[in-house]
Amino acid sequence: MTDSDDGPVADGAAPAPDGAGVAEAVPAAASGADAAGDAATPIISGRDVVKEYVTGGETVRALRGIDFRVDPGEFVAIVGPSGSGKSTLLNMLGLLDVPTSGVVELEGVDVETFDDTEQTRKRKDTIGFVFQSFHLIPTLTAVENVEVPRLLDRTPKRTREVATDLLERMGLGDRLGHYPEELSGGQKQRVAIARALVNEPRLLLADEPTGNLDRDTGDQILAEFDAITDEGVAVVTVTHDDYVAQFADRVVNLIDGTVREDAEAVTG
Amino acid sequence: MTPLERLWGSFPAFLMARRNVVRAKTRSALAVAVILIGVVAIGAIGAGGVAFQESQFETLGTIGADVQVFAGEDNENGYLTATDVGTIDRVSGTAEIVPLKQENADVIEDGSTAGSATLYGVDEPTELYEVDEGSIPANWRNGVLVGSTLADRYDLRPGSKVTLSRTTIEDGEAVRRTDEYRVKAVLAQAGQADIANPNEAFVLPTREFDDDVFAQVIVRADDATTANETAMAIKRTFNGRRQLVGVFERGDVAEQIDEAFRLINLFLVGIGAISLVVAGVSIANVMLMAAIERREEIGVLRAVGYEKVDIVRIMLAEATLLGAIGSLLGGAVTLAIVAVINDALLGAPFAYSAAALQYVVGGMVFGVVASLLAGIYPAWRAARERPVEALRG
Ligand SMILES: Nc1ncnc2c1ncn2[C@@H]1O[C@H](COP(=O)(O)OP(=O)(O)OP(=O)(O)O)[C@@H](O)[C@H]1O
Ligand SMILES: [Mg+2]
Repeated sequence: MTDSDDGPVADGAAPAPDGAGVAEAVPAAASGADAAGDAATPIISGRDVVKEYVTGGETVRALRGIDFRVDPGEFVAIVGPSGSGKSTLLNMLGLLDVPTSGVVELEGVDVETFDDTEQTRKRKDTIGFVFQSFHLIPTLTAVENVEVPRLLDRTPKRTREVATDLLERMGLGDRLGHYPEELSGGQKQRVAIARALVNEPRLLLADEPTGNLDRDTGDQILAEFDAITDEGVAVVTVTHDDYVAQFADRVVNLIDGTVREDAEAVTG
Repeated sequence: MTPLERLWGSFPAFLMARRNVVRAKTRSALAVAVILIGVVAIGAIGAGGVAFQESQFETLGTIGADVQVFAGEDNENGYLTATDVGTIDRVSGTAEIVPLKQENADVIEDGSTAGSATLYGVDEPTELYEVDEGSIPANWRNGVLVGSTLADRYDLRPGSKVTLSRTTIEDGEAVRRTDEYRVKAVLAQAGQADIANPNEAFVLPTREFDDDVFAQVIVRADDATTANETAMAIKRTFNGRRQLVGVFERGDVAEQIDEAFRLINLFLVGIGAISLVVAGVSIANVMLMAAIERREEIGVLRAVGYEKVDIVRIMLAEATLLGAIGSLLGGAVTLAIVAVINDALLGAPFAYSAAALQYVVGGMVFGVVASLLAGIYPAWRAARERPVEALRG
């Protein structure tokens, strides 16, 4: 899988991009030998992860054997040009997809060993998603959308409290009863983020979470992310935005399905 | 949070189902409409059939578990004798028997014949007849009871007098005798199938007839089974090689009529049921469209931790909800239609019989079940989809 061209990726530590202001940038990948850099189990890690899509007899290699590791409390930004495999990687981190080859481990357990039910359970308990195009449910109000991941718990009162609180923190306290079609793009985005947080995940995955937000609202979201990383939640976000990348503890630069540890993040 | 919201919160699948039903209003309305039509088809046909059957029985009169015994084709007398009656009484065991005499008579008005009528002779008329006007004396020895049709025709009331002329056998010779009788009672209108139908008859005490001549003996059995046993026993006793008595089991006929009605009704309800099957197909179609339309949404649910069975449950809740709404409305419409049918056939709009209500409830249950079944395949299809694929749009 990892032929010499693509190389064993990310041998050295990746320096944080300029101005990231984070001293200790944990390597995006650890090549076998120096894996024991941190005693804590990573929330999620992958070795030699390959993802291939077969469409019409043609094989697209979306990920070409990459290694990664995300620790609790980390804020990781994934940048890279369109089609470089960012969403594919995020799906892998979110247990929505399994690699064609290689190993992905969630809290030390190989995800291949999970059956569909266990995967679903893990998604619910440990992972929060913010999708690239929000994917709010049009028939439900803002607060109900936030409640969705907890609806089946049948604790309506508690769930309503948590959801209301989250929306208030997102600055949407006055939009609780609004339907998605009555919300602006940025407001939908924030509802989607609140929904991702409602189950108190240990890993928050976001695909372009600030794409539709103005600087102020974006800052508010980033501050929120910062706050939850302080609580030990790992945040992995795909972004085209330098500003967000600078905010991150660490930037993973994906190009054509491989991790490039350039100092210059290729955004956009 | 209102208590209602809290209630919905306890049934999250129904919360989403309800919102989805409301979202696609036209489509949901059409799905509900087909279920409604199906439920009405089953309920109205079934319950209407029952009302029709009842109205038929009303004109037919009650057909009990009676056995009628009369002279058979090989009987030289052409009638039953007192000895025969005794034998029948013995063979029928505890069952009540009513020996019946019968003759024809002319009704004489102002010295000339005004018409003819049947004369029945019984000793215990209360066994057979109900009284409309007047009363039957406890120890009835003279006086006549008049059937309702004749009472109207000859304008007879209790207390009026009527003259009857008939031919009787006296000492082996035919004699014409004419007697005047006082009317004791007018009998209630009887159904067409009633035994010894009195509508066009006069009823007299048996002493007004020949001693030894009985037209028939009615054995009143408790139920169809004993009626059948008694009928067999009587046949065995009388009929060897020669057919001395004829036996007619009325319970048999009642059963046959019942069975015929039941089969016709079943056939019609079957046709109604086809319309519910069609309704089920339409629900399946609606749900399949919903499953395709909400692919992304379902992908989101799967991604945030809904199991496949949760998705199935939500989709089935929606199908069931459509079915339940359709069935409830259908049930209401059916009751209204059946009220109209009842009014037309039975003269009482709210005379819902248990059997009729069974069809209505049956139709409603079938409506819900058909919708539930119809939702299974679409629900399974929706749940089976991998969330990554669904979310790619
Ligand atoms: N289901 C699929 N079937 C076939 N090819 C796919 C599939 N999903 C992704 N790909 C291919 O894999 C590559 C990576 O796709 P991915 O969606 O991960 O890109 P991305 O980095 O998220 O891009 P963008 O920034 O535009 O969202 C692309 O070339 C894409 O065409
Ligand atoms: Mg993408």
